[in-house]
Amino acid sequence: MKSLKIILNGLIKENPTFVLLLGMCPTLGTTSSAINGMSMGLATTFVLICSNIVISLIKNLVPDKVRIPCYVVVIAAFVSVLQMCMEAYVPAIYETLGLFIPLIVVNCIVLGRAEAFAAKNNAWYSALDGIGIGLGFTFALTLLGAMRELLGTGKVFSLTLFPENYGALVFVLAPGAFIALGYLIAIVNKMRKA
Amino acid sequence: MVVVLTLISLIAAGILGAVYTVTAEPIQQAKTAKQQAAIQQVLTTFNRLETDTVNNLPVHRAYQDDNFAGAAVEASSNGFGGEIKIMVGFDPQGNIIDYAVLQQAETPGLGTKIVDWFKTDKNNQSIKGKNPGKNNLTVSKDGGEVDAITAATISSRAFLEALQSAYQAYAGNDEATNATTGATSLQPDTTAVDSLNIQLTDSINAIIE
Amino acid sequence: MNNLIVSPAPHAHSGDTVRRNMLNVIIALVPAYLVSLFYFGLGAFIVSATAIVACVVFEFLIQRFLLKQNNSIGDFSAILTGLLLGFNLPSNLPIWIVVIGALVAIGVGKMSFGGLGNNLFNPALVGRVFLLISFPAPMTTWPRPIAWNSSYLDAETAATPLSLIKENGAEALPAMWEMFIGNMGGSLGEVSAIALLIGGIFLICTRTITWHIPVSILTTVAAFTGILYACDVINVTPLFHLCAGGMMLGAIFMATDYVTSPMSASGQIIYGIGIGIITVVIRVFGAYPEGMSFAILIMNAVTPLLNTYLRPKRFGENKK
Repeated sequence: MKSLKIILNGLIKENPTFVLLLGMCPTLGTTSSAINGMSMGLATTFVLICSNIVISLIKNLVPDKVRIPCYVVVIAAFVSVLQMCMEAYVPAIYETLGLFIPLIVVNCIVLGRAEAFAAKNNAWYSALDGIGIGLGFTFALTLLGAMRELLGTGKVFSLTLFPENYGALVFVLAPGAFIALGYLIAIVNKMRKA
Repeated sequence: MVVVLTLISLIAAGILGAVYTVTAEPIQQAKTAKQQAAIQQVLTTFNRLETDTVNNLPVHRAYQDDNFAGAAVEASSNGFGGEIKIMVGFDPQGNIIDYAVLQQAETPGLGTKIVDWFKTDKNNQSIKGKNPGKNNLTVSKDGGEVDAITAATISSRAFLEALQSAYQAYAGNDEATNATTGATSLQPDTTAVDSLNIQLTDSINAIIE
Repeated sequence: MNNLIVSPAPHAHSGDTVRRNMLNVIIALVPAYLVSLFYFGLGAFIVSATAIVACVVFEFLIQRFLLKQNNSIGDFSAILTGLLLGFNLPSNLPIWIVVIGALVAIGVGKMSFGGLGNNLFNPALVGRVFLLISFPAPMTTWPRPIAWNSSYLDAETAATPLSLIKENGAEALPAMWEMFIGNMGGSLGEVSAIALLIGGIFLICTRTITWHIPVSILTTVAAFTGILYACDVINVTPLFHLCAGGMMLGAIFMATDYVTSPMSASGQIIYGIGIGIITVVIRVFGAYPEGMSFAILIMNAVTPLLNTYLRPKRFGENKK
């Protein structure tokens, strides 16, 4: 019962993008299309789950004073592993996400969950928290990416819904990311209150 | 305290080293595959490649058995949003077979159209089959015979500039074409060689300016 | 009891209303609109009429169904936003793009912030810049000015003087006099410097706006381009920059919007200088040929700061 609650907590109640407003840099930077948003979300989810498990396992070994450096080393290691694997096996996605993969290291969601959750709970719950928060992040990024891709180019997941000439390009570019995110948060908050 | 941090770092380093050894090979393969795919796209049939460097540009010369079948040249120039890197395929006569854009950061919806604008057979857009040594491949605003991308003249110019430097590298290495050097005449449109030299001078001037 | 109004002295009312001021601005835009109808004809009419109607309709719909406020169409601000948006668009723009521009101007630029008086940015410019970034090709294809024009979508195209100097094209620049009266490519309302100046003088005479913002913008641009001209950085005169593009329209009508410009005179002058400098920097060194609308939006964002630090002095307040 508690397991389910932890997952739902990350997905809805403490959704990192819509509620906690964490990790805005990759949220705005990588969501130019639905597939990019989803890939970024899944990449972050992978790092989140792995680092949460490892940190909750080593939490009793690590002295309090050096816990942040230790967490960062663990996170950075997983990010580098992920980066090399992506470059080797999915080079196309690696190229589009580019700089944002190494930047997962400094994504405050990952370190935030390590501090706030993994350092206080056992490995099983930490893994579930990683899954919940990660999927919440993935969901938000995919939604934002799909919205921007649709408004900008008339496609969702490269599936054409209306001709590209009618798309408002600004949504694919940086200013459109801010506008779309703003309205998305407004809509989600309205729905949460209703 | 120090021991724990060192230990964690060491373990992390060990894992990274292991993953690196496993993935180094596929990463290299992916890169080569991308380049090979681009060469395949811009050249017609060939079964042997020789790569050398002319004017600091990689020139992949293709042979069908022992006959020269053309060359794919990588070149770059500065576009509107950063470096534009292209690969152009020339047949043995110096005519353009096809091109591929390897890297670009132009404005989406405008400059990004370079990816297929110059292959589309519409008005005077296409550069396929044209010869930079004989045709004046600059945008029509500059007196050339290629239609620039609507509202993206700067990207179009940058693309054609890269194309010119690719041709220079190709011609400089291939005696079959008549790209003689030394002529400095500035009379426009007299011969193919002259128009080539004008463009050369122009691009040199552009660099100096 | 609701009819009782509590307010400090003096209790005189000048008769000044939002509606009165908006109407003055609309009257001041008439000369420029006539010039535009002369050069761009049918297209100018279709685009501006679409923009006005769409802005009013969107304002009504959003207030009625989303915000559930009383409608404020009667204050003419939506009509003015529509007119100014139309003035900032090329006259051969397809209707559906104009409608999207109106939706963004009213929906994103004005109503998202809470309606007239709360908006941070000039709504018409929000609409224009949104369209410029979203549909760059149609937004930068300008019709050629032809007297008594009756073409719309099929209009013959021409480059604006600013894009000509940006792209170093072979086409000749229009003569200074032609640019002054408005015989050049450009947005439908921005071409005629003389007609816009007449409107500006009307606004200053009726005290709808003060001189501070337009004069400080134009002086800054003249001085800055003068220095660049003297140093051989640019080869067009300051007069060219004053007449080209949206300079006059922006300085007189867009930057002086009450809601989005500073309140005090000193704030207005700093605001104007900022717009002038940013515009010239974008025009001369930037990627876009024209920077007026970006400059105004950027300085709109600075306005709250200027209002905080440069408050108008209260009557009777002692100097420190």
